[in-house]
Amino acid sequence: MNTSDTDSEMHEAVPTWKRDFPYQAASEEEVTRREFARYLVLGASSMAAANVGIAVWTQLRSINVGEPRAVVALDTLAVADTHLFRYPTDADPAVLLRISEDEVVAFSQKCTHLGCVVFFEAEEDRWHCPCHEGNFEAATGAVISGPPTRPLGKIDVEIRDDGMIWALGQVERS
Amino acid sequence: MRLSQPGNRTSSSVLIYVILLVSFQVFLLTIAVEAFADDSETLAWSSAAVSVVVAGAAIAFLRFLRT
Repeated sequence: MNTSDTDSEMHEAVPTWKRDFPYQAASEEEVTRREFARYLVLGASSMAAANVGIAVWTQLRSINVGEPRAVVALDTLAVADTHLFRYPTDADPAVLLRISEDEVVAFSQKCTHLGCVVFFEAEEDRWHCPCHEGNFEAATGAVISGPPTRPLGKIDVEIRDDGMIWALGQVERS
Repeated sequence: MRLSQPGNRTSSSVLIYVILLVSFQVFLLTIAVEAFADDSETLAWSSAAVSVVVAGAAIAFLRFLRT
């Protein structure tokens, strides 16, 4: 047998892809199906633990619903006028709407879809989110149309005897 | 033609079940995060309960898996 015969035999034994890409990992370790499944089950168990942790966190955390404070004088707002303010903290934009002579409502200005700012459309009598065309009822904040599935965050307000409108706290969702 | 052994087929089926259960766990985790954002305790606890059951099922399946 000469050298060319030996070469051709070797070429036949080695697949073409291996001849073209003669890459060899430093340590190619085989993972059995059982090991692979064990990693998956470990991942599933970790996710279950995370899920329980999130549930406990949801149960135990306290949400700042805000302290009662004066927002604006009623007589500075005409019917269908809005007033922007911050509540319960300075990082939370909120909006107040006078819907009739003696009735006002206030909501968080963050759209419940992706947090864009909603504004009042007097002609349509609704809150409108321009980012994804979400619409909410003016008086209740309930979803009318668009991608949001939850109503706007409501803030309890009252008109006091001195003519000031007070924010009393965010209404917690049940 | 090489036919796969019955034991091999069972192992592959169990592995597929485990992969499906892990995918379901990922879905449940997104539900939990959504419940957290929405402050919905009922949904969060329901998701956690189902997640624990699914993890238990995945562990149980592991017993049937050959190497």
